[in-house]
Amino acid sequence: MSGHSEDPVAEESKRFFTFFNLSMLLVAITGIEIVIIYVQTFDGASIIGVLFATSIIKFVGVITWFMHLRWEKILNTILFLMGLVIAVFTYFAVIYMADDPPVVEEFVVSPLEHDWKADEEYQKGDYVKHKNVFYVSNIEQNSPSIVPGEKDSANSWNKVDGIPHQFTWKVSNGDLIEINSLQPGNPFFHQYHPSEIYNIEGSKIALLTQSASTDDFRIKVRSDAFWVENQ
Amino acid sequence: MSEASAHALDHHEPVTSTGIHNKKVLMWAFLGSDCMFFGTLISTHLIYRKISATVGGNFLDIRDVFDIELTSFSTFILLASSLFMALAVSAIHKGNLTSTRWMLFGTIIFGAIFLACQVYEFTHFVHAPGNELTLSSYRGEPHVFGSTFYVLTGTHGTHVAIGVFWLLGWLAYSFTGKMSTADAMDVECCGLYWHFVDIVWIIIFPVIYLMEYAF
Repeated sequence: MSGHSEDPVAEESKRFFTFFNLSMLLVAITGIEIVIIYVQTFDGASIIGVLFATSIIKFVGVITWFMHLRWEKILNTILFLMGLVIAVFTYFAVIYMADDPPVVEEFVVSPLEHDWKADEEYQKGDYVKHKNVFYVSNIEQNSPSIVPGEKDSANSWNKVDGIPHQFTWKVSNGDLIEINSLQPGNPFFHQYHPSEIYNIEGSKIALLTQSASTDDFRIKVRSDAFWVENQ
Repeated sequence: MSEASAHALDHHEPVTSTGIHNKKVLMWAFLGSDCMFFGTLISTHLIYRKISATVGGNFLDIRDVFDIELTSFSTFILLASSLFMALAVSAIHKGNLTSTRWMLFGTIIFGAIFLACQVYEFTHFVHAPGNELTLSSYRGEPHVFGSTFYVLTGTHGTHVAIGVFWLLGWLAYSFTGKMSTADAMDVECCGLYWHFVDIVWIIIFPVIYLMEYAF
């Protein structure tokens, strides 16, 4: 903490190497930051995490050694950290004030139990039910379509294990959306980061073991300051 | 303990109620308040960057105007200047006037290079053909990015400029023949200020510049 060794000149001489090594470390870390940005190996959230960590390391390095806090009385550290803590709280306070709680404007889950009809047209990816078995169309099929499950239908229809359900949602804002099942025997979990943070609309088709409705699921939406869910 | 060292010690720790030189306490208190100042500027920039993410109906991609190579170079320069400053403080504590002078000179030169890079950068941004970033617009469309960006980085640049002038004062003073270890505390306070400017840039560089390349 405070104080000096018996010979401050000798002490200062020793610090030369500390300062030099720290300086090289700071340059190396900054180089790593730039390389990470150029290489773009990681996803955005990971890059931000790494940048945050390296900035903290550099910050602490400079205040500890270059600014002599390591050798100073604790009062100086407290004075500085008071400002720093208030600055960090200011950031989160502003984030909170500027953020609107997300609103789940629409969330619907419905089973896709359309019976197959011979005279209907089917697009690739359409689901049908035929004789209590579900199939997905492999190709675009014009009327009359091939009967699912029949001989030679393998190129046109694939049998699916489970009941297809359509999930659709519309959310005012958010950067993370999670949908999960509330039924233990009917597991489902979907999480994604929307490309836009406002007026988010999405849909997904998933296979479930049991027939379910909207009430059997929970959607959670995260914004900077809020987690909102709609059951 | 040598006589010079003992002389140096006499000037380090005058008797105060805190046990720390009052100038140093004042400087740390000032730096704490400056933290809050930059905290608000950085927060403002990040908030507006988020809520004004589009310009003219398109996603705001500021990478077209940023020159990350130049900014990286100036970052390295500022980091190097901090080493010179630490060595200048160390030298004045040791009573080595010649070394102090050279280290102060190095810090000033590197600080001036950083400022020159910033002036070039700002000029380049404002006049970038097709990608003009002004205080109130980007590519001719009204946008707030320029306001928060220039105010934040400009305030930091102003701090660097003040630091350079402060250091110039010390460098000039060193030629008067009056500079001694008695001034070590004052030079150290100047050093604290300079390092603070450095750590602010340590935050600004990744948060304002590099983060634009993260997505």
